[in-house]
Amino acid sequence: MLKTLKEIIRTGDATVKYPFAPIERPKDARGKPEHDLANCMACGACAVACPPNAIQMVIDSRAQSTSWSINYGRCVYCGRCEEVCPTKAIRLSTEFELAVMDKNDLEEICMYSLQSCTECGSPFAPAKEVDYAYRILTQFVDDPDARQAAELVKVCPRCKQKRDSQRAKQNFESLGGVS
Amino acid sequence: MSINKSDGLRIGESHVREAESRFPGVIREVRWICDDQIVLDVVPEKAPDVIEYLYYDRGGWLSVVVGNDERPINDAYAVYYVLSMEEADPCYCIVRVEVPKDPGEFYSVSPKVPAVVWGEREVQDLFGLRALGIIDNRNLVLPDDWPQGLYPLRKDTMDYRYRPEPTTDVENYEFLKDTGDRETTVIPMGPLHITSDEPGHFRLFVEGEQIIDADYRMFYVHRGMEKCAESRMNYDTVPFLAERICGICGFAHSVAYAESVEHAQGIEIPLRAQFIRSIILETERLHSHLLNLGLVCHFTGFDTGFHHMFRVREQSMDLAEMLTGARKTYGLNLIGGVRRDILAEQKVSTLKYLDRMRSEVANLVDELLSTPNFIDRTEGVGILDRKVARDYSPVGPTVRGSGFERDARWCHPFDGYKSLDRKAITAGSCDVKGRTLVRIGEFMDSLDIISELLENAPSGPVLNENWTYEPHRFAVGWTEAPRGEDVHWSMIGNNQKCYRWRAKASTYSNWPVLRYMFRGNTISDAAMIVGSLDPCYSCTERVTIVDVKKRKQQILTKQQLENYCVDRRHTPLEY
Repeated sequence: MLKTLKEIIRTGDATVKYPFAPIERPKDARGKPEHDLANCMACGACAVACPPNAIQMVIDSRAQSTSWSINYGRCVYCGRCEEVCPTKAIRLSTEFELAVMDKNDLEEICMYSLQSCTECGSPFAPAKEVDYAYRILTQFVDDPDARQAAELVKVCPRCKQKRDSQRAKQNFESLGGVS
Repeated sequence: MSINKSDGLRIGESHVREAESRFPGVIREVRWICDDQIVLDVVPEKAPDVIEYLYYDRGGWLSVVVGNDERPINDAYAVYYVLSMEEADPCYCIVRVEVPKDPGEFYSVSPKVPAVVWGEREVQDLFGLRALGIIDNRNLVLPDDWPQGLYPLRKDTMDYRYRPEPTTDVENYEFLKDTGDRETTVIPMGPLHITSDEPGHFRLFVEGEQIIDADYRMFYVHRGMEKCAESRMNYDTVPFLAERICGICGFAHSVAYAESVEHAQGIEIPLRAQFIRSIILETERLHSHLLNLGLVCHFTGFDTGFHHMFRVREQSMDLAEMLTGARKTYGLNLIGGVRRDILAEQKVSTLKYLDRMRSEVANLVDELLSTPNFIDRTEGVGILDRKVARDYSPVGPTVRGSGFERDARWCHPFDGYKSLDRKAITAGSCDVKGRTLVRIGEFMDSLDIISELLENAPSGPVLNENWTYEPHRFAVGWTEAPRGEDVHWSMIGNNQKCYRWRAKASTYSNWPVLRYMFRGNTISDAAMIVGSLDPCYSCTERVTIVDVKKRKQQILTKQQLENYCVDRRHTPLEY
């Protein structure tokens, strides 16, 4: 009994003023992921890595756009998106007070336009991603393969396949084969 | 491959040789799936004998029973009995019994080894296989109103999102009672009552205040995680789902899953990652044991102690948040290692946290043990008989409180524990007090383990990403969670998915002995005994008391029952 009383007096006030005063979180705490619209190139790495599918991308080929969305209600704050992002466009903040009155407020959506194929005209990949690839490829000035790839960067995979097969056919015929 | 130095045998080979000489021609195939895990493919009719021999004569304990629909692979089902060999030559022996798809029957091991009964009931429910001669043929996992002939884990039955309409409104589950010719009153507790995260329904058969027998029904909130992981998740995202099995010991599940895959695929984890895993596992034990110690204070009417335990517990939560970035669901594991390193400054502040907790908890424990009420209420209550314990393979402080040195950290050292030389903490009194003392001892032990691991952790990388996988290999992974051993069995498929994932939480092994622990105690001790298993206390909405003789019925609130447990005056049964 005496021990208990002494312990109570020694402890004093154990509670903190939160929520009336701010509370400190460790600097590495995992909170709300913040998406940087400008840095993001809509490559979709985060959407693939996200375990609970909180990040999703939906392609609308008629509107030639793709949506990128995150639902904070589904997010488990694991930070896989941050780990896999090649452009550091998504970072976990320490913010944790995410309660909303309306469930729809938990979702954030943004749109990215798609690149149309210069040959067949159908949209095939986010324009920013294509541009990113182009900028990387053009850095290898002396590499003929990179140069060729840079030329074809705005051609969709199907048209590239078609080109390849046509070229293979030409090669085959020039070697004396019968088609 | 590791060789047993003394006699030139591989790890676990002594068990295989003895079993082969005792049952010639019964073991069809033996293979080592990793250093210390052996698969014995046995003739189905003889499986019960082999398992009984390994269990009782070779020092085996049952870890988990796994059913698997292998029709797409080899046109048959299979049942795996995972035995943890803990006496001489420790290893895991996985007895594989192939079950032909037609008629889908196998010989039940339960008449010989009662520990397998839950596992076999689950296989019956989820795969529609029949265990011939099983000692308890009721549903375990599936609800009573589940459609006949719909077996969720068969590969060709249902989408994981399918929710069939209930087929009946009548409760048809039969509760077992072994009360002889004594006239008893039934006290149902539940369907939402004192259990781990899952609400459960208890029936106490009482004579006056005395509990003569008890039975229970679980799995009201079976979440279908295994099915979900198999159909929706990729195998490398499952650690994050595994972490959500339990709100208290999630990290232990996540490690167990990751290591089951790593063992199956032979993936080396960097040494530093192994140490970090162990450190975080022990941090988890700190907060879990403080939670249970707090609840013990609460149950014995020492609410001041309860509040102080929870106040100190907050420090262990802060410690976890500092190390992993979250109070719970640490999200730290990937297959191949961990995602965060422990930095030098974090090490320094961890040691500070440990010192503070050590002195504060020592004071509180001293207070608790000098409270006369505590000794009164826990000594000789909820006895777990050693023979019952041997038959049912319970785990964790529950079995250690009955004097068995079962602790996966020291029986099958893994991760950073390999570098430590310690022994399981036990108590011989078999009662609630013994289990509480084990937890107190383990808490103090964990503090020392964390500082020792922090000091000895080698430097280096924490994640190995340089590996490939081969489909359809399987293995078990295990950890010692605060409540006992968590065992995961997993097999990866050829489409980036888990082909089959079986997660066994520690409390799954502890429920079957609860019935025996209830017997002979009073009603006011019931909540206490359940609490000593340390299931998460999912609240009782209310309790209905039915007096069979008077045909009267009365509803008690959780508060009434709890008050009675605390002060033991004014029994709610006086009406």
